[in-house]
Amino acid sequence: MENRIKELMAVVFDIEINEITDNSSPLTISNWDSLRHMNLIVALEEEYNIEFDDTEAMDLKNYRKMIEMIEKKLT
Amino acid sequence: MKKISYIDLLKERNRLKTKFENSNKKVRKVGILSNIIVSQAKEIFEYYLGINDINSSIQVGNYDNVLQDSIRFAKSDVLCILFEISNLREGFSYKAELMDKQTMTELIKQTKNEILTIFNYLKSCSMVIWNMFSALPFRNSNIKQSKLEIICDELNLFVKENAPQNFVLFDTAKLYSRISVHNAVDWRYWYLSKSLYSIDFFCEYAQLVVPVFKRVFGKTKKALILDCDNTLWRGVIGEDGFNGIEMSSKSASGRIFEEIQTIITTIAEQGIIIGLVSKNNPQDIDNVINNHPDMIINNNHIVIKKVNWLDKTENIQTIAKELNIGLDSIVFIDDSDFEINLVKGILPEVEVIQVPEKLHNYPLLLRDYLPNFLIINETAEDKARVVMYKNEQKRKSERLAFNTIEEYLKSLELVLTVFTDNESYIPRMAQMTQKTNQFNLTTIRYSESQIKNFVADSQYSVIAINVKDKFGDSGITGLAIIRYETDFAEIDTLLMSCRILGRNIEKSFMDIIIDTMKRKGVNRITSKYVPTKKNIQTKNYYLLNGFEVKEKQNLQTTFELKIDNYSFNNLTYIKIEHGK
Repeated sequence: MENRIKELMAVVFDIEINEITDNSSPLTISNWDSLRHMNLIVALEEEYNIEFDDTEAMDLKNYRKMIEMIEKKLT
Repeated sequence: MKKISYIDLLKERNRLKTKFENSNKKVRKVGILSNIIVSQAKEIFEYYLGINDINSSIQVGNYDNVLQDSIRFAKSDVLCILFEISNLREGFSYKAELMDKQTMTELIKQTKNEILTIFNYLKSCSMVIWNMFSALPFRNSNIKQSKLEIICDELNLFVKENAPQNFVLFDTAKLYSRISVHNAVDWRYWYLSKSLYSIDFFCEYAQLVVPVFKRVFGKTKKALILDCDNTLWRGVIGEDGFNGIEMSSKSASGRIFEEIQTIITTIAEQGIIIGLVSKNNPQDIDNVINNHPDMIINNNHIVIKKVNWLDKTENIQTIAKELNIGLDSIVFIDDSDFEINLVKGILPEVEVIQVPEKLHNYPLLLRDYLPNFLIINETAEDKARVVMYKNEQKRKSERLAFNTIEEYLKSLELVLTVFTDNESYIPRMAQMTQKTNQFNLTTIRYSESQIKNFVADSQYSVIAINVKDKFGDSGITGLAIIRYETDFAEIDTLLMSCRILGRNIEKSFMDIIIDTMKRKGVNRITSKYVPTKKNIQTKNYYLLNGFEVKEKQNLQTTFELKIDNYSFNNLTYIKIEHGK
């Protein structure tokens, strides 16, 4: 799953997949702005058939949190 | 319409882009202007145009700069304008209801002026798609019109009366009704980043406007070639006989074909070539066309007929030759899998439509396809309306439109309020350093405690500006941090929120910054431009303000200015006040 999420992030942020690390966040990836963040949320929702409310969506602003939240939603 | 996942869409768009780059296909310049954030439209448009074999480069204008950008984008091949009523002014979707009558009248007048100015700037653009205003996302009462709806109606009427001929008016409400407001609007985008429309909205929108693009790029359909049995009427003439086929409201399935024939007759009268290709005895078909009382399509509508036992692909090719039209301008409708797949396989340029198995969907399918046809003959009524609009337009534009951007800016009654070293704005100032990307010269992110230290430190000046106009207050939207050294001062940070750009505020802001330094006795100023992926628009900002390049190092440029060499802009239409 982690690789797939990295792939989604790379496509949405229009960057190389190896630019994404465990510490990735809007501070380390300049293309990760609030709009592309929402685009990523939409992509994740489609991919895993889940839904994030707005607080959750706001909260997902780093790679680790994203993995944790999706795992939680899927169990 | 077909649904593709967002991620697959992005990947496919990248693939198409590479394909186009290698094929040297002409790049079409397409612009999108809006007063809300719509940048996600770029990839989506490039995808949907790409799968229609149009190589496009989409450029999205600056946030809320529709009027200002309409000059810059006037040379686009196609320009889409999504002027969103909800953001006519900050928070307008909910503030409209409380607005007093006079302010409202004033705002409507102002907006009409803006619209006319946009029309004037764009009247020679090759094609403009203008989205009509709609208040549908804002859930209004079904029995009482909200103020927002009333304004939409008034502005839409104004647009209809004044839009130049190169404008296509896109009915946004119809898009909402197709996919529902629930799917077209994502409120998280709205509250998080001033973007209203969902990915689904843009996908639907792009697909609906593709025919307009095709028209501009000469890819329209000119001819409709039809099979007869079970395509123009229900039944098979060779088996069911003259009295057995149905195409009238006497039966339910006949009624569907009555509707189909009516649609075809309508487009035939608008100049579309109608042809028949059918495997039948020619006498049988002629007999139906000439003598069947339920036939709506007649020999005046049918330009060409190939009724024989030859391969249909052969007949279609003959038709193309005889009429001297390209295969790519032909649409072919048939009910048979075999014929459809044959034509698809052998003549891929011909667009095929198969009569759906669920027959009740047939008229809708055909109607949805109609925008792809090149409509030549306008009705007399259409023509009269155009003339009427044009006269109206002339009369009104003399009275209303702004002649220059300055005139427009003047009408806004802009006021900048300057706050220097103000403690109460520390959180907002820190937030701005963290969030602002586009108009940000150095993009240094500061925490609240760092900003607090700068405010307290006499070696620094922290200047925040508040921007308002006669319709509302944008709040604290600009920030400069100046550091004083022994014999010079450095502009450490200079940024402005994108919602105030395009109003020449950056010119007045520089006046303010220089003035502050002058008062402190500064003689020499240095400043930096540090490029990021987002701040390219500020690249020449210091040069435009009279600074000289001192040094270029690792992409970053250092500038210098002797303060006495600065010439103040002193813009008359921006009032500067000092706050406490």
